[in-house]
Amino acid sequence: MITVDARGDACPIPVVKTKKAIDALTGNETVEVLVDNETALQNVSKAARAMGFEAAATTLGENEFKITVKVVKTGADPGSAEVKDEAACCCPGKKNIVVAVGSDRMGEGSEELGQVLIKSFFFALTQQNELPGSIIFYNGGVNLSCEGSPILEDLRKLAAEGVSVISCGTCLNFYGLKEKLAVGEISNMYEIIERQEKADLIIKP
Amino acid sequence: MREKRPALVIAFENVTDALAVEKHCQVNGLPGRIIPIPREITAGCGLAWKAEPGDRDALLPALDGAGLAYSGSYIVLL
Repeated sequence: MITVDARGDACPIPVVKTKKAIDALTGNETVEVLVDNETALQNVSKAARAMGFEAAATTLGENEFKITVKVVKTGADPGSAEVKDEAACCCPGKKNIVVAVGSDRMGEGSEELGQVLIKSFFFALTQQNELPGSIIFYNGGVNLSCEGSPILEDLRKLAAEGVSVISCGTCLNFYGLKEKLAVGEISNMYEIIERQEKADLIIKP
Repeated sequence: MREKRPALVIAFENVTDALAVEKHCQVNGLPGRIIPIPREITAGCGLAWKAEPGDRDALLPALDGAGLAYSGSYIVLL
């Protein structure tokens, strides 16, 4: 029997640890996973079952749970039982929202109105109970994450609440704004694509 | 749930009035910012000027003095 101690681990680490331990096995084995919260208990059980194994949950104490996974290796491709670690995260129901901003104004038409609308949009974003996971700025949108932007206060507030703000490095370079980035990190096209690929919802103002 | 705080919200009949107030406040260093009008206020053009409740006594006379139009002012939780 193998014991995986995932107590004290933040999501999705318990699922990741369990998956790694199972993947490392070459033969049949029982894997015992210790966790300290019910969400992890459910996520690990669900992940083990999704991999095709029997999983039994036991409550050991108030904040102590055990999942016993009976791993039976059938010789099938282990990759076929894909488990999405991040999807099995401990925030059930919470959508991964990405806001992708390609301009310093909102919509086509009047430039003046568009600039007001984008300010309005970011204020309203700070007022939402469910905040986005990421805000991505590219092309003219990078003006909004740099010094002189009218929405810096909102962006700082969002960043302080855990929203990840990234700006396209190529775009900052093109507009000569690299030294003026005021909120968040410089990033690249790979990350811009990956974050949108992983999103449940993409908002383009 | 996000914590809400009282705010002064000034509503406008039309967007042009809202933009004029924004311009005037920015030029004259008056407090506040443009926001989308809160759902609780059904009047107005969709844009509003938001400031601290304590700014009311300075802000409204300043707008009046400059001849800038607004349709109402409210204290709401934002």
